[in-house]
This record gives sequence, structure tokens and C-alpha cells, in this order.
Amino acid sequence: MNAIIVSAVFGVLMMFASFLVNNKNVYRYLAIIGLSVLLLANILETYAIWSIKFDSFLQLSFERFGLFFNSIAIAATLFYVLLSGKDIVRVGNYSAEYFVLIFFILCGVSLITSYNSLLMLFLGIEIISIPLYILTGSDKKNLKSNEAALKYFLMGAFSTGLMLMGIALSYGAVGNFGLEGRGVVAFGGSMRVSFLEVAGLLLLFISMSFKASAAPFHFWTPDVYEGAPSVFTSFMATIVKATVFIGMIKLLEARTGIFGPTWQIILPLMIVLTLAIGNITAVFQQSVKRMLAYSSIAQAGFMLFALWSANDMGREGILLYSVAYTLATVGIFAVLVKMKDYTFDGFNGLAAKQPLVAASVAVFVLSLAGIPLTAGFFAKYFMLASAIKSGAGVWLLVVAVVFAAVSVYYYFRLIQAMYFKEGEAEMFEQPTNSFKGMLAIFAVLLIVLGIAPSLLFNYLYF
Amino acid sequence: MLWTNFLMNVSTASNTAVDYFPIGIQLIFAVGFVATMIGVSALIGPKRQTSDKLQSFESGIESVGNARQPMAIKYFLVAILFVLFDVEVIFFYPYAINFRDLGWNGFFAVLMFVSLFLAGFIYIIKKGALKWED
Repeated sequence: MNAIIVSAVFGVLMMFASFLVNNKNVYRYLAIIGLSVLLLANILETYAIWSIKFDSFLQLSFERFGLFFNSIAIAATLFYVLLSGKDIVRVGNYSAEYFVLIFFILCGVSLITSYNSLLMLFLGIEIISIPLYILTGSDKKNLKSNEAALKYFLMGAFSTGLMLMGIALSYGAVGNFGLEGRGVVAFGGSMRVSFLEVAGLLLLFISMSFKASAAPFHFWTPDVYEGAPSVFTSFMATIVKATVFIGMIKLLEARTGIFGPTWQIILPLMIVLTLAIGNITAVFQQSVKRMLAYSSIAQAGFMLFALWSANDMGREGILLYSVAYTLATVGIFAVLVKMKDYTFDGFNGLAAKQPLVAASVAVFVLSLAGIPLTAGFFAKYFMLASAIKSGAGVWLLVVAVVFAAVSVYYYFRLIQAMYFKEGEAEMFEQPTNSFKGMLAIFAVLLIVLGIAPSLLFNYLYF
Repeated sequence: MLWTNFLMNVSTASNTAVDYFPIGIQLIFAVGFVATMIGVSALIGPKRQTSDKLQSFESGIESVGNARQPMAIKYFLVAILFVLFDVEVIFFYPYAINFRDLGWNGFFAVLMFVSLFLAGFIYIIKKGALKWED
């Protein structure tokens, strides 16, 4: 409850700061302070030291897994603001409001990690989506940003409609909005799962895969991620996406086996499709930003494994995956924002001019590709190992590994451009020392987690 | 007498498909009546087609310009804000009815709701959303 309330309060405080304070740098420091307080409040609740308590009438339930993911999401946002806070302020004229929206998104995140009723899930998804529509269009004078925002809004509103329809059907079968509900009907002498509930959950699942941009519901992703201001793309491709997966895991865990044997066909099909579309299309991209958009689809394919395996290892895996993927992607985007040319050629010769920045980006890219000694390797390892534990066919793992190998091609093009090509990698401004320091911290974190991933899980259990 | 009995007994009758028969007849009659009247008046009514009839009606004054002109965003903003605060007031009605039953807990819940709304109101005023002159 702490995270929900404190994030909303700080959102409102930042709103007031927007007209009380005129200095734009103050907003950034306020946001950093707010995120730190939010993180502290959430940790206090995790260890049951202090928490605000309201009777939520069984609409919300707080458990270790969700609270720990809250901490990850808030800490990731804190790192994100520390790294690219200056670029957030610079997007448009409404600097404070961008932070307000980020705080409100975190409120939605903490709702999704703790919902106990489908209504709260719906609220959480909406609280996440609506600020994202605004952030996508925040570069008001850029036509591409406007187009992306409109596209995202129309398609997002449609998928919200599907989600409501799903919740309504599930309500019709179960009789309440509870997460644990199970509708049962008599069918030819035996009791079966209600058809309404299966249809409802399928619609719910479809609409959430839309938000997580898993194929075949990924069509909006490349355009929206490319059109949105780069700083906000990095936020919505990482923290928000990981949250939606946590929501899906909670939903499918509460109603395991609802789809029956067909689930063994639907989900592997989605995984293979997502991996194939994400990876193969990314190979042909010339713009790094668009490549990262497709790579985020490909990474969603790996995160879907956690839904398939549905065991403790999968839950640990998705946490590690969100940390590894978030750190790496936020890092690359922070550098990308500063580049004049978003194509691969724009990165030519970066290593000679900015050795530390180039080295950090290289680590991020290696982690995304899943090379050992980086967190990305163990993240992928946990995903595949958990799937084996739940009895996945070997063919599925072979497909996943083959596509991971394909991803090496386009990720390494970036390293190739930075280190082995001559060129003038032009930047809008020279990166400051603190920016370089933050990038280096990101890279070190990725390597430390790549050597000892249990460091992260310790906090989940102790 | 049989007629009135039939009408009086509707509410006590058991809930079967037959009970909806009168409603069905009424629906068919309503649709049929409207369709017939429109059809007949279109068929036998007098027709005088002039170019004046195709113009948009502006209280007898000759129409000027095009209706599809860009409009100031201020109108839209005020309309949206009106909807927002209108909906806020709607929430007070159920609260007023349950005022006594909900007690202090309900009061604080509504107070929180209103104060959040007030925060938003102060925000839009300070941001100049209601400033009419540029």
C-alpha cells in the first residue's frame, strides 16, 4: 500500500511544483528525492517495518514477490532519472509534468503487482497506459511523435475494450471479480470449466499481450517506440513492459489450467512467433532506435517463457530478466538520446572519442545478446531452465537459442560500428562526468549480476 | 372484464417467454407504424425541389462560409473540464443518500476524493487553463 499512496502523493506534489517552482533543474532533484523516499517506503513495507494500512476489501493483496518487484521498478526508475533526467526536462515545455506522469505510472505499477481482483488489474493497466499515451506525444512539435501518440492511443483504447469485455465475461462465469474465482458449469453429466470464463480470460490475455507487445499483437510497437521521444521510449520499453509480465504471471498462476491442453499449443506458438518476428525484423533495421524496438519484441519472447513454466524458477527468472533488460536498454537509450544520427553509421568511431561510453554500451549490448559474464546470460538461462523444469519440449529451447544467436548479429553491429569503423560519432553535447559515471555503474551492475545472480534473489527470500 | 384482468395479472404471472408476447407485439407495432408513416408521407406528399432547400438553415439568413473552421482549443478545454467536474458532482448523490450509514470512514474517503479533485482544480487554474484572453 505504501508504494501506491506515496507515488500518488509525490505525483500531486510534483504537479504543484510545476507552478510554484520556475527552475527546471529543481524538478529533477525533486523527482530524485521523491523516488528515493518511494523506494524507502516500499522497502519498509517489504520487511513489515512500517506501512500505511487501509482496508481494501480484498481488492489488493500484498506479498513478497510483488513488493520486491515494486522495489526493482522504483529503483530502475531512480537510476533512469539519475541517468537521463536532464533529457527528460528537455523534451518540451512541461518538464515537471513528465515526472508527474512517471510517478503516476509507478502508482499503476504497484497496483498491478498487488491486485487481487480483476477490477484492480484493469485500473492498474489504465493508470499505466494513459500517462504513456501522453508521454508518447510529449514532443508536441514533432509530427512523428503526434502520429505515434494517436496510433498508440487508438490501438491501446481498443485493447482496453477487449480487456473489459474479458473481465465482463469472466464475471458472468464466476459471479465476482476475484482473482481466484473459478466458474464451473454442468456439461453432459460432468462439471467443466465455464466456457464464458475461458473466453474472458483469453480476451484478457490477448489484451495484456498487446500491452507487453508479444506477437501477434506487436504491430504498434515499432512505430510508437520510434515516434516517441527516446527518453520515454526507454521507460515504456523496460519498466512498463516488465510490469505487464508480472501482471500476466499473477493472473495465470491464480487460474492455472484454465485453457486446458490447448495452452501447450497457444503459448509455444506465441513464443516462437514473437522471437521470430522480433529477431528477424531487427536484422534489417538501419536505425538503432527501431532495432531496439524490435529487440524489445524479441526480449518479450524470452519473458513469455516465465508464463509457460509457471514455477518458482520462472518467477526468479522474470525478476532477473527485468533487471538485466531494463538496465541494459535504459543505458543504451541514454546514449542514443545524445547522438545526432540514430542510424548504425551514427555510432561509427564512438570508441575513439568516448572510450568509457563506448565500453559501457558494449557491455549493455553483450548483456542484451546474452553473452556469459553479463546478467543477460543468466536471465536467459533461468528462463530456459525453468521451462525445462516444467517439461518443455527440446525443440522449443533449440528455437529460442537459435534466435538468441540471430540477435547476436544485430547487437554486434553496434559494437562493430563503435570499435571497428572510422567515423565521426557526433553528439549533441559532450557527456558529463556524472553521466559517464552512471553509465559505468550500470555496466558494473550488469557484470556483477552476471557473475552472481543470487545477489538479487537473496532479497526476494530474506 | 377479461381484458383488464389480463393487464392486471401481468405482474404476478410466472416469468416465461409467453409473458413477453405483448411486448413483442408492441415492438412490431411501433416499428411498423413508424415505417408506414414515413413511407406513406414520402410517397404521397407534395415535392418541390429547389436549390434553397439544399442549403443549411441559418434562421432565414443566407448561409455564410464553411462550418468546418478551425476553432480555438479553449472551447474544447473548458468543455472537458466541465465534464470532469460534472462527474465529480454526480458522485455526491450516492454519498448523500448513504451519508449516515457510511459514518466517519465514508466522510474521510469522500474528503480524500474531493481534495484530490481540488488539487487538480488548483493546478489547472494556476496553469492558466481557464484564462480566456491570450
